[in-house]
Amino acid sequence: MRVFSGQRAWLLQRFSAIAILVLLVLGIVRLAMSDGTAYERWHAIATSTHGVVLILAFFLSMGLHGWIGVRDVVLDYVHAPSLRLPLLAVIAFILVAVQIRVAMILLGQP
Amino acid sequence: MQRQAAAGGAARSLPKFLNLAQIRFPIGAIASILHRVSGVLLAVSLPLLASALAESLRSPQGFDAVVHAATRSWFAPLLFIGAWALVHHIFAGVRHLFMDAGFGYRLPQARTSAFVSIAAGIVAALLWLLAWGLR
Amino acid sequence: MRVSIYRFDPDVDQRPRMQDYDVELRHTDRMLLDVLLRLKEIDDSLSFRRSCREGVCGSDAMNINGRNGLACIHPVSELKEPVVLRPLPGFPVVRDLVVDMTQFFSHYHSIRPYVVDDRPMPERERLQSPEERERLNGLYECILCACCSSFCPSYWWNPDKFIGPAGLLQAWRFITDSRDTARSERLAFLDDVYRLYRCRTIMNCTEVCPKGLSPSHAIEQIRTALVKDSS
Repeated sequence: MRVFSGQRAWLLQRFSAIAILVLLVLGIVRLAMSDGTAYERWHAIATSTHGVVLILAFFLSMGLHGWIGVRDVVLDYVHAPSLRLPLLAVIAFILVAVQIRVAMILLGQP
Repeated sequence: MQRQAAAGGAARSLPKFLNLAQIRFPIGAIASILHRVSGVLLAVSLPLLASALAESLRSPQGFDAVVHAATRSWFAPLLFIGAWALVHHIFAGVRHLFMDAGFGYRLPQARTSAFVSIAAGIVAALLWLLAWGLR
Repeated sequence: MRVSIYRFDPDVDQRPRMQDYDVELRHTDRMLLDVLLRLKEIDDSLSFRRSCREGVCGSDAMNINGRNGLACIHPVSELKEPVVLRPLPGFPVVRDLVVDMTQFFSHYHSIRPYVVDDRPMPERERLQSPEERERLNGLYECILCACCSSFCPSYWWNPDKFIGPAGLLQAWRFITDSRDTARSERLAFLDDVYRLYRCRTIMNCTEVCPKGLSPSHAIEQIRTALVKDSS
């Protein structure tokens, strides 16, 4: 995939890493600053528009960052194309499925 | 591990020395391989994280179930591996970000930051076990 | 001194083996290369490359007690016994401590290790300011000994596609040379998931360079140049 070639993949990995860090900190701060029981705080964030967008962004960043990272691992150790291509396909599928599942969970709430 | 000799006409495969146990790795290499291991562990845990998200939002009981699983179930102490992976990966990753930006790329500083990354992960794992022990 | 050496004779051995020696040293034997030459007196079937004996030709690069280095500038006083000598990791072994450097050199050639300037020749020389010449320090001194590339895990896993620290350091040496005019082609050549981007900044290269160079830093500068040039 051209999107993940050389420099682009390297940059995307750095950007997604920073995004994850920022979102993690934002999330923790938000949770700490809100009121109520643990469940109430969590539920409030996860059902607000801001919360949904940020949690989605978090999982998307994790998915991208994870894809680039795991792809590097496969490119390093798995050389036979007959093994490598199916392996990468399966991993990509699982990561995309996670994104869809997370979107459905967050957006399917009342 | 075998390779044909490129020139000189040798028809057989030549051996290679690549016994990792006999190679003395610098601390940066240790931090690096652990960065990779922790990364793979975290990637593999993504589907699990998605499930935890779903369960935690289903109902107050679902939320409690997730908290219980993470803190009081039989595998809660084993999550020290997750704590280690998360903290090591973040520290080692931030170390790379600083080096990319031009800070701490010289050998003495790089060795120190590698040591700090490794130590941070171990401390996180110990803290997790301590917290679980004191629950 | 007790020395254990990796032995492999393609005409005789099916598999490599380790051979132990006990060698008497003279007080004038200061470097590991001197020890090896004493061993040659005991067993002259032992094969290793050596030439300048002063750390500038790069011939006697080998794995010394688990870390790569040059035998001729590795002091005997710093050697822990038993001294274990093996060939450079990951490179095909021709015989004993002699490895096949063909692939290593082909990567070096692939990065065009020469100033490229197809414009009409200047009347006298191509001028370079002291500041511009400064930029080559820490890069031109590479002796192509292969200590770095043979200690790089990324190079072990993909020696045919990853250029390796030595080749990349030389690539940067020419990219940053003010007299060169092929900067964008050089950078475009390197912008590849394998050629440059197998590097994970493990920094094994910089740890073992016997000339004190930093291939990892040169590689970092190539990545920065790629980002700058594309923005």
